[in-house]
Amino acid sequence: MNRYLKLVHMEVDRFKYILAGLMSLTLICQFGGVIWWTKSAVSNRESGAWMNGGSMGYILNSSTSGNLSFTHVLFNTQFIFMIPILMSIGVIAIYVFLIWYRDWLGRNTFIYRLLTLPTARRHIYFAKLTAILIFIFGLVSFQLALLPVEKLIFNLIVPSDMRDPSNISNIIYANPALEMLIPWQFDSFLVYYVIGIIAVLVIFAAILIERSYGRLGILYAILYLGISVFLLLFPMAGLGLDNVNGYLYPNEIFAIELVMCVVVMTVSVWIGCRLISKKITV
Amino acid sequence: MIKVVDIHKRYRGRSVLNGASFTVEKGQITCLIGINGAGKSTVLKAIMGLTPLKSGSILIDGQPIDKNLYEQVAFVPDHLTMPPGMKLSEGLQFMQDFYQSWNANRAEELMTFFSLDRTERIGNLSKGTAAKFNLVLGLSQDTAYVLMDEPFSGIDMFSRGLIAEVFSSHLIEDRGVLLTTHEIGEVEHLIDRALLMKDGAICRDFQCEQIRSEEGKSIVDVMREVYQG
Repeated sequence: MNRYLKLVHMEVDRFKYILAGLMSLTLICQFGGVIWWTKSAVSNRESGAWMNGGSMGYILNSSTSGNLSFTHVLFNTQFIFMIPILMSIGVIAIYVFLIWYRDWLGRNTFIYRLLTLPTARRHIYFAKLTAILIFIFGLVSFQLALLPVEKLIFNLIVPSDMRDPSNISNIIYANPALEMLIPWQFDSFLVYYVIGIIAVLVIFAAILIERSYGRLGILYAILYLGISVFLLLFPMAGLGLDNVNGYLYPNEIFAIELVMCVVVMTVSVWIGCRLISKKITV
Repeated sequence: MIKVVDIHKRYRGRSVLNGASFTVEKGQITCLIGINGAGKSTVLKAIMGLTPLKSGSILIDGQPIDKNLYEQVAFVPDHLTMPPGMKLSEGLQFMQDFYQSWNANRAEELMTFFSLDRTERIGNLSKGTAAKFNLVLGLSQDTAYVLMDEPFSGIDMFSRGLIAEVFSSHLIEDRGVLLTTHEIGEVEHLIDRALLMKDGAICRDFQCEQIRSEEGKSIVDVMREVYQG
């Protein structure tokens, strides 16, 4: 347990600069977007340009009173808000692969050392998994923590008589990327993140299959990915959740989907742990 | 004693290990000799559990390799296996964090002996310096056995002298050492026992002193018989 935590610490430490970079990018893009848009909207209003149709886009999204709300800001800065979010998702997605391959590739193959540590090898597997989850939830919580600060910046720029109130759910709904990242319904939150975690587990298993079986491993890994995707999609796509004339009731299909998720998750973790303990080769 | 019995391994359709069997005794320096591609490194990796075997068994003091035995057997691969972004001091800390058998005083002693700079990054080390640091990591563990893969490869003459000095010092005494090399000349005077590998199996196993006094042959002479005869 102790060595597992040390491994987690080490994995997080190795990614800290990239993580800090992603957080800084998020901060700069979003603060910049909020300040720039709010300032120009306020000056637009003060100069009276908005009344004359000087900024059509803005008028369409603004309340009838002409007041500004933080929700408007987010609605109008969707693109610049999305850049760091999509970039973070992309980097994490690539790092799901690199967290393993970086130990094999290059001049210093750290995997030799990792595999000969006096600790159960599954700890290496779980440490890498935990690290990925820490990165994901770290970035999401950072994003959540930024929103009130951005709202504060908005409040500082816009005089109170020009402000409309906005609540957190409207703020999140104003940007599709945020809505996906932080779904307002708890069940969608669960579904998105569980699917994400299953995807990470399946990819981990595929990577370890590839690392264990040499050239043939590439084929096995692709096969494993294919079978997993099929198993996960089949109950939804094949049996049809919204098919009224289907043989099964929707809740039965939902139960099958749930079982498939559990099966794919369990098998992936089992394969991962087993391969890293018995079959992996440097 | 490390006991390797009839190990077989195939890699990319080729037989790399083909029934190799031998033992490594404590208090002896055993050298695994063979031409390039003879399977020397694969044997060391197999002992460390870094590559699975098709058949055969490897026992260390009567037990198959598992996590606890990594405290008993140290491995010095043919290249440094620490992340390039780490500083040497962080590398030493990493070892101390994970290995109970880590001997910080000995690490300190070896760092001074090889004149290594703790603030240097591992990625910036030259090949020879990296090899020295690799030895520091392997020899600073209080283990019963040390496996070394080509410890002299790519190292300049003076550093070879330093490493050879380590071999005849208290750092090695009482331990079972298994090393591989294809340049036997450098280590001939250091080793107690030689294992000659050919086609994935051990074809000669002899005590160097004995063959020297009884048959008047050097290791190189025996190698010529085996590989050229």
